[in-house]
Amino acid sequence: MIQLCSNDDPPVSFTVPRKAVELSKTIKTMLEDLEGFDMEQTPIPLPNVDAPTLELIVKWVEQHQDDPPPVEKPRVEDDDSDDSDADDDQEPEVVIPEWDKKFLPTDDEQKNQLFKLLNAANYLEIKPLLDIGCKYVADKISGQTVEWVRDYLNMENDYTPEEEAKLKEEIAWAEGL
Amino acid sequence: MVDLEVKVARVQAENDRLRRTLADFSERVVCGRLTGDLPDNFLEQFSQLPDRPLEQVLRFLPARQVVQMRHVSRRFNHLIRKSSKTMPKMKRDGIVVFRSNKAGELIVGWFNYRNKKIAEATLADHGIALSELLRFIHIGGRMHFSDGFSATDEVLNQLSIAWLTIRPEVLVFSGDLSHTSRDSLKAFFVKVEPFVTQIQFQGACNIADSLLSDDVIGAAGQLDGLMITSVSSGSELPNLNIGDDTLLSMVDAGDVSSYFLVMDCSSITPGGIRAFVEKWMKKERPQLDANYSGFRGLLEACDLAFYKCANVTPATVEEACGDLLEEGTMAESYVGFGGGKKVERVQYIIQCPSSNCRLGIVFSDYLFNCYCKYEPMLEDEIDDYYDDHDLDDLDPEIEHDDFDA
Repeated sequence: MIQLCSNDDPPVSFTVPRKAVELSKTIKTMLEDLEGFDMEQTPIPLPNVDAPTLELIVKWVEQHQDDPPPVEKPRVEDDDSDDSDADDDQEPEVVIPEWDKKFLPTDDEQKNQLFKLLNAANYLEIKPLLDIGCKYVADKISGQTVEWVRDYLNMENDYTPEEEAKLKEEIAWAEGL
Repeated sequence: MVDLEVKVARVQAENDRLRRTLADFSERVVCGRLTGDLPDNFLEQFSQLPDRPLEQVLRFLPARQVVQMRHVSRRFNHLIRKSSKTMPKMKRDGIVVFRSNKAGELIVGWFNYRNKKIAEATLADHGIALSELLRFIHIGGRMHFSDGFSATDEVLNQLSIAWLTIRPEVLVFSGDLSHTSRDSLKAFFVKVEPFVTQIQFQGACNIADSLLSDDVIGAAGQLDGLMITSVSSGSELPNLNIGDDTLLSMVDAGDVSSYFLVMDCSSITPGGIRAFVEKWMKKERPQLDANYSGFRGLLEACDLAFYKCANVTPATVEEACGDLLEEGTMAESYVGFGGGKKVERVQYIIQCPSSNCRLGIVFSDYLFNCYCKYEPMLEDEIDDYYDDHDLDDLDPEIEHDDFDA
């Protein structure tokens, strides 16, 4: 068993089976790196994750600890070469499983909790969780207006009116797509 | 060995990083409490998603919306522009038509293979808008550079430098090519070389004297079809520097059908045609089973048409390769009525029943019409029933290709 600590004051710690916790690539790498240390006795502090979020993470990894590992696809990043196949890989269809649908904090007032969860999944490198969370957000955003998305994502319109007008012209062509 | 060392070094570096990270964590935990300064934006990121999840969200959105989302904020705009390279593209494998209108705007229309319009975009500022559009859309299938200045250097250059693959199989030029230079046309051909199999200049006007030559066409690599014809049989093309090299390069064309139809090409010689016929007859072909009496597979057909080509007439071809054409050849004199005037059509046909192939040489323009590729009408209404997701399902004919491989 491995202990994970939240960033709260005082920290809240969770005890998680090693198998489950290894769904997080970040922690898995860390554990592998510290092979030889008695990690069962050393709580791992997670300075980016608060207690409610960590609780969700723990719930999710415990539920999914027996999932078959996802097929890794090497991702070419920032590859400027004109690789004929680089732009070809369509994103595989992500389907949110039933359990996860109920699990995700999807009520509107829980929006920030959802973002915190995705933040944590990103930081802990739990790709399947990140994928279904992002898929949920994308479905939510899909078809909505720019204003709605701004509000939903807590983003501020930081364009000057001039910039905005110019951008509007620049993207006008997309209307017909 | 070097590889291993590099790998070891990398793992070592990663180990060091993790050790430092853990040490960093441990330092901050005093008596089980987290102390010290919080990282920048630490609180902000609770209400905002970091770039990676946001990017992942964008990957699930349709291209149209991704483009519009640039409007949300500077950060979003920056992220979209940064990540548009790796984002899934809208696939357009039907017919893409480029056309310019009187206002100088470039109109890009997409159609499916049944000429139904899928989408249309009007690009006021070619340079910016076209490069933007190419970030989000795959172009495949057939490309028409149609009315007006549709294949200008500016347009071709944008297509050539686009980092994503443009994979048209057929290129049709029928607009005004006075704003098109050799260099940009050649660069564009180089770009599409792995995919393009047929190029047609059908009714393109204002072709500069030096625009079309063996080396420009050659830049497009192995072709199965090439057609160069003017608007109507009355008007003339400039001197085309397309000669025997281009003709001969087509001998190895695909094994189903190929065509080489040109007019006003004075650089083609009877000697070149002889070399072509010789090579074509010797070409290696899959052997047909002599005992097999059923369907013999597709006929390999090759059509050559030389219309108004100064050096190529029935007489000179007869003289240069009469011996090759002798057997199994019909020199057919056909008299009919075309546009009220009497036309004589001479054609040579070489049939090789054993290998199921046929070569035809004609000296009139009647084949040009057969091979003309007509573009769909831009004025059509957009077919709303036809969105991205249906594209693959509705068009099984594109499935066999390697688009999804």
